[in-house]
Amino acid sequence: MRPQLIRELEALLGPKAVLSAPEDLMLYEYDGSVELGSPRCVVFPSSTKDVAGIVGLANRYETPIVGRGAGTGLSGGAIARSGGIVIAFSRMNRILEVDAANLRAVVQPGVVNLDLSRAVEHLGLYFAPDPSSQKSCTIGGNVSENSGGPHTLAYGVTANHVTGLELVLPDGEIVRIGGKSVETSGYDLCGLLVGSEGTLALVTEITVRLMRKPEAVKTLLAVYDTLDDTTESVVEITVRAITPAACEMLDGFTLRAVEDYVHAGFPKDCAAVLLIEVEGLTEAVESQAAEITEVCRQHRAREVRAARNDQERNLLWRGRKEAFGAMGRISPMYYVQDGVIPRTRLPETLRRIEEISRKYDLQIGNIFHAGDGNLHPLILFDERDREQFARVVAAGGEIMRHCVEVGGALTGEHGIGMEKNELMPLIFTPDDLALMERVRAAFNPAGRLNPGKVLPMGKACGEIRVPPMPASATIPT
Amino acid sequence: MSWPAQVSFTRLEEITGGAHVVTDAAEIAAREVCGVRPAVIVRPADAVQIAEILRFAAVEKLAVIPTGGCTKLSIGLPPARYDIALDVSRMNRVLAYDPHDLTLGVEPGVRIEDLLRTLEEKKQFLPLAVPFLDRATIGGIVAANSSSPLRHAYGAVRDFCLGMEFVTGEGAQAKSGGRVVKNVTGYDLHKLLIGSLGTLAVITRVNFRTFPMPQAQGSFIASFPSAEAAFDFCRAISHSVLTPQVVEVANPGTAALLFSGEISARIEPRTWTVIVSAAGQPAVVDRHERELGHLAGATDAEEFFPLEEAEADSALAQIREFPRLMMERVPASAIFRISAVRGAMAALQGKLRVLASQRELDFVSLARSSGILYAAFLPQRDFSETPRSLRGIIAEVFQACGQSEIPASAMLEWCPAEMKTSSEAVWGPPRTDFKLMRGVKHSFDPQNVLAPGRFAGGR
Repeated sequence: MRPQLIRELEALLGPKAVLSAPEDLMLYEYDGSVELGSPRCVVFPSSTKDVAGIVGLANRYETPIVGRGAGTGLSGGAIARSGGIVIAFSRMNRILEVDAANLRAVVQPGVVNLDLSRAVEHLGLYFAPDPSSQKSCTIGGNVSENSGGPHTLAYGVTANHVTGLELVLPDGEIVRIGGKSVETSGYDLCGLLVGSEGTLALVTEITVRLMRKPEAVKTLLAVYDTLDDTTESVVEITVRAITPAACEMLDGFTLRAVEDYVHAGFPKDCAAVLLIEVEGLTEAVESQAAEITEVCRQHRAREVRAARNDQERNLLWRGRKEAFGAMGRISPMYYVQDGVIPRTRLPETLRRIEEISRKYDLQIGNIFHAGDGNLHPLILFDERDREQFARVVAAGGEIMRHCVEVGGALTGEHGIGMEKNELMPLIFTPDDLALMERVRAAFNPAGRLNPGKVLPMGKACGEIRVPPMPASATIPT
Repeated sequence: MSWPAQVSFTRLEEITGGAHVVTDAAEIAAREVCGVRPAVIVRPADAVQIAEILRFAAVEKLAVIPTGGCTKLSIGLPPARYDIALDVSRMNRVLAYDPHDLTLGVEPGVRIEDLLRTLEEKKQFLPLAVPFLDRATIGGIVAANSSSPLRHAYGAVRDFCLGMEFVTGEGAQAKSGGRVVKNVTGYDLHKLLIGSLGTLAVITRVNFRTFPMPQAQGSFIASFPSAEAAFDFCRAISHSVLTPQVVEVANPGTAALLFSGEISARIEPRTWTVIVSAAGQPAVVDRHERELGHLAGATDAEEFFPLEEAEADSALAQIREFPRLMMERVPASAIFRISAVRGAMAALQGKLRVLASQRELDFVSLARSSGILYAAFLPQRDFSETPRSLRGIIAEVFQACGQSEIPASAMLEWCPAEMKTSSEAVWGPPRTDFKLMRGVKHSFDPQNVLAPGRFAGGR
């Protein structure tokens, strides 16, 4: 380490805003993925000016910079793969403005996703992107990863809800793009920046859309005895062009683990459930719920019931959102994937995942956004078993290849990060990737910002990276 | 036109076949961009031919502008150079339509009207109620980011476009996004092409999600004595639980231009008119009618009435075609497309109206509740000549937008070509993000082959 850099960072931010002791840095080696990487130091800016100052120092010392929100990301986006400075945004956590009349809020990147919805709840408003980690993940992280969530089926992902950003460019310049209005003349830079995984600029302020809470919400639980009936129901709901606000699937294995933990009321003896939510005007909700119920019954759902009150509804959603955490009770580690497929290919894809599970002798749970074809197979493993872990990586690769073969994509909401960057050639040609590299270079010419993410480094094309063994049995939740 | 004498069209003919290289004077004139005409029109059959054409252009230092229905070529600055009009109208196939998955992939030359008809057979649609509906092509609609009144309910192209294939200025075939409804694999480069006016790449395929057609639809007119009252009504709608598809506010001049027959008979000439459409199950439409009526009453509407189906279709078509109607009827007008938050709309229009009257111009406007304001300035009498005051008002409008309590973003979407004397005249004052845009342009088109000089912050 260059102690001089640490001293300069301390002079800039104050000694309490810089961590460099090995025991402190350990906490920042990982995120919600199975990846690891050690930063040289972690800094906690309080303002955009601080961030620009840090970037200036990083440039002088030719040191990589990695932005970090809550570290809940699932593809290694916030991991300091090449060392350097981690900029943790946890002190930049103020909601700067709520403009209810125009349905906008201006926030700092460290604001926790759910905190924004809570802050505007009394106005009848909320922030729509709702990743499962919304109790802890930050809006800055959501912007980097273009996060989704169950309700993105109806309302879109983070990119659909961001109208303006303040950026610190890798040369330290502060630039605003977009604003409160829905568009700005010129190229849609916000559209490019959201989901660029911290490789183009550091985001220091975000203007987001707020949405008005719907008049009525109905949450249905449909219970099935076979996986095929469950997936066929999802296809039929899509075919009939019913757009629920959310349509989530939990398979039997996963829901048993969840039920033991959350006691959400999922029947433990079934093959799968669908958790479907419809929202809007009362009249629309009633007729959509009736139509969905009919589809589920036609596909042999053994039970379709509606949550009777908010408490029941919240419990069902807690079951869904805490499912990853529940896995920690039954397995030391899991590897979660994020492939997307055309929705009509759901039945065959779930059958394929079952085959892969048998082939590699691995337990794979499925809990995912069925309505938009966004899979989350959870492959369980014990990190002490190196041989088993090799099978996990192989099985994961096979699932992803299937997604690509049926016309899908590598990631629906978790990002490419350092987990899937070497898989990018499965989807993109060298020309596609060369253009992405040029665009990255236009913003980040020295490659100092979040190096080793999104685009392949060319060392092991077409492979999922085999990450280092985690030092301890950390269960991300 | 700057076609070098020593370069022949032979290479283009080799690429596309001689029949698809055109120099007919009328055809050339139709592809004029702000007074600049190309030397030749070439009609490629596919992305491979486009790539060859662009590589040829780069070598010969020729400038290329992609064209389709030629309905929006007047947007933007006059090109610094323009040699080849790259006409994608032969690329007019629907490449993939999976109605069960509600996804679609089309070539750029598909006419929107034809596409909507194809989708209608499956009771689906794309929320692109755009001007020039009878002629506009998908490539042009995307490249100009055409404004649609349905944005309020369904979002803009950026919200329902899943991915694109395109050929960069270097002649590289590339893509981003994909064909599935949710995807964060790689940079969303296709979002940069939306509204880029052909300055970055030639679009060769666009993938969309499609939407189910609602069972029923109802449209309503409310008229108000003042802008404030009209926007109070809009605010009341936005604060209610109602979920209308379209909410558009026409100022008195616009209402006179757009509405005829029974609608114009029922609204007073000096009133502000709001047209609202609701869609969904019949019960949902009925409820909108009831509650919109209450809200109109509570906000001092002079009139509130539902429209017959034919009447509604015609009124919505007029609203859809507003910018076209303006530029066709009054070529000597300046039409701004302004993006402003809802709360700033009434005050901003007040300012613009004052600017217009100071310069003895008429002001007509159409405000979309999605946050787009069309503001047109036109001569009060003689429509044939461009008044000097029209030129003078441009900088003032940009200034008013920048100084709005909540800044609005403006661009001059239409004006007589001779008024486009600088980047500021069309795209407004320089901004700090122009530097980033120039970087993007250079990444896609390092030799500046595509529509050089046409874009904001571009080259």
